[in-house]
Amino acid sequence: MSLRNKAAIVGLGETPTDRLGSKPGEPRKSSAEYLAWAMRLALDDAGLSLKDLNGQGLGVTIPTAYPQPFWPEEVAEILGITPGFLLGGATGGAGAVSLIGGMAAAIHSGLIDIALCIGAAAPFSEHFGGGIQPGDMRDWEIPYGTMGPNSKIAMVMRRYMHEYGATLDHFGKIAVAGRYHASLNPLAYLRKPITIDDYKNSRLVADPVRLLDCVMPANGGRAYILASPERAKTLRKKPIYLKGFGERSNPSYGPRAGSNTLVMGVKDAGKVAMEMAGVKNSDINFLQLYDDYIIVVYLQIEDLEFCAKGDLGFFERTDFTYQGQLPIQTGGGMINVGQPSTAGGMLHIIEAARQLRGEAGERQVTNAKTGLVSGLGVLPYGKNLGCCAVAVLGNEV
Amino acid sequence: MAEVDVGKPLPAITSEAKPFWEAAAQNKLVMQRCRDCQAYVWTPRPACYECGSERLEWQELSGKGQVYSFTVIRQVVGRAASMAFEKEIPYVIAWIDLDEGPRMISNVVGCPVEDVKLGMTVSVVFEQQSPEVWLPKFKPLVS
Ligand SMILES: [Zn+2]
Repeated sequence: MSLRNKAAIVGLGETPTDRLGSKPGEPRKSSAEYLAWAMRLALDDAGLSLKDLNGQGLGVTIPTAYPQPFWPEEVAEILGITPGFLLGGATGGAGAVSLIGGMAAAIHSGLIDIALCIGAAAPFSEHFGGGIQPGDMRDWEIPYGTMGPNSKIAMVMRRYMHEYGATLDHFGKIAVAGRYHASLNPLAYLRKPITIDDYKNSRLVADPVRLLDCVMPANGGRAYILASPERAKTLRKKPIYLKGFGERSNPSYGPRAGSNTLVMGVKDAGKVAMEMAGVKNSDINFLQLYDDYIIVVYLQIEDLEFCAKGDLGFFERTDFTYQGQLPIQTGGGMINVGQPSTAGGMLHIIEAARQLRGEAGERQVTNAKTGLVSGLGVLPYGKNLGCCAVAVLGNEV
Repeated sequence: MAEVDVGKPLPAITSEAKPFWEAAAQNKLVMQRCRDCQAYVWTPRPACYECGSERLEWQELSGKGQVYSFTVIRQVVGRAASMAFEKEIPYVIAWIDLDEGPRMISNVVGCPVEDVKLGMTVSVVFEQQSPEVWLPKFKPLVS
């Protein structure tokens, strides 16, 4: 089933991010408050009211540190919605992008004609405990003293540098472009421009991963509203159409016991999404790539086949800013805007839709018609990221 | 015998993994292999994840491999981490590509962290963590 032009983004809600609660005595907000705030922004943007969501789709990203299996239902209660189709984003950080596929399919089937996709987290203000770890992590990683995703991504980055000779200059260029865009985004948290030297001199977190390689956790809420094309035409904003969608979870390139960690599932998810959209790489005006780490952004550009694996020259000559040949992370990405747990990935859909509406202000990509968004989640044993979702969006039918 | 360290998080000895830990206590590195497609299967599981066969058997491995990649832990961070590792800092977390093919996460021990290199050949050693758990780790192979 093709989902091309079968659903459109009609509302966007992005709260500012903060780190309230990181210092003792600071005022705090709960994730419930960020949820309500993000929903209000999205409804106002679309010109819809709360009542319009009853009997419709509700998609909820499930935060990593909230070990309550009925969270999507709890969110419906918090927000005062009686959904006709309730979907949890079960793919970790990829959830925000996975939900667009699931909800577009539900809309196309006629089950619903609107869907609110929403997520929030307040990791600095609320503490639900550490959550339950996957069995492989509990039994085969943590007993060795692994330190979460940093340890694994550090090994991916070192292996890449070893195989292809990439240097900190190659990665730093992506960090600098992202921060430059953040400096033009009023909703970004880190807005002071940085240089390549700032990147190279930032503190080592997990050798060779540095502080400026890493995403910034934050409190916040994000939402988008999808509608059928017919419904979308009656609403306030220019519809931004889903052109293509692809997902690959638990990918393995090579034997499962020893896969190539330098290839990511966006390779196949991206191919499926671009074929569905009927677009070539040269049709894509910008990329909003899931960015838990700089190396992950870098590898996705290769795996989406904007260049060959290990083509360092491509990264040296390409301008990744909003005025360049391949604009990426045009709002600064989660690395600079902040990652409220798995709601973080909503950012890329929101920024893509803003660009395609022409609402991106100082960082607007000229004549943007088609953009690609990715979501990634979960770091399985011995592999690169385990859940990969790609959506292609466009502003013309 | 190494001092038993009870402060660190221990693996759960699941029914699938029990033969692994029993062998490790005898200082043997074993792994499941599929009788139908010959694939090695790691981590332990009920069926082959290459072909679906449930005809898996445990085989002893050479215990030799190469460092595929590594990182050096210099700080205890993250919600799943245990402060029990603080006294080991700095230490190496590595992906070891075993000679038979599968990749394991482990520590490289027995040399300064500065000496660890990609492609370095290593061999298994076992460190006792509890009465039942002997963790396979890897030390540089001196030829
Ligand atoms: Zn098999």
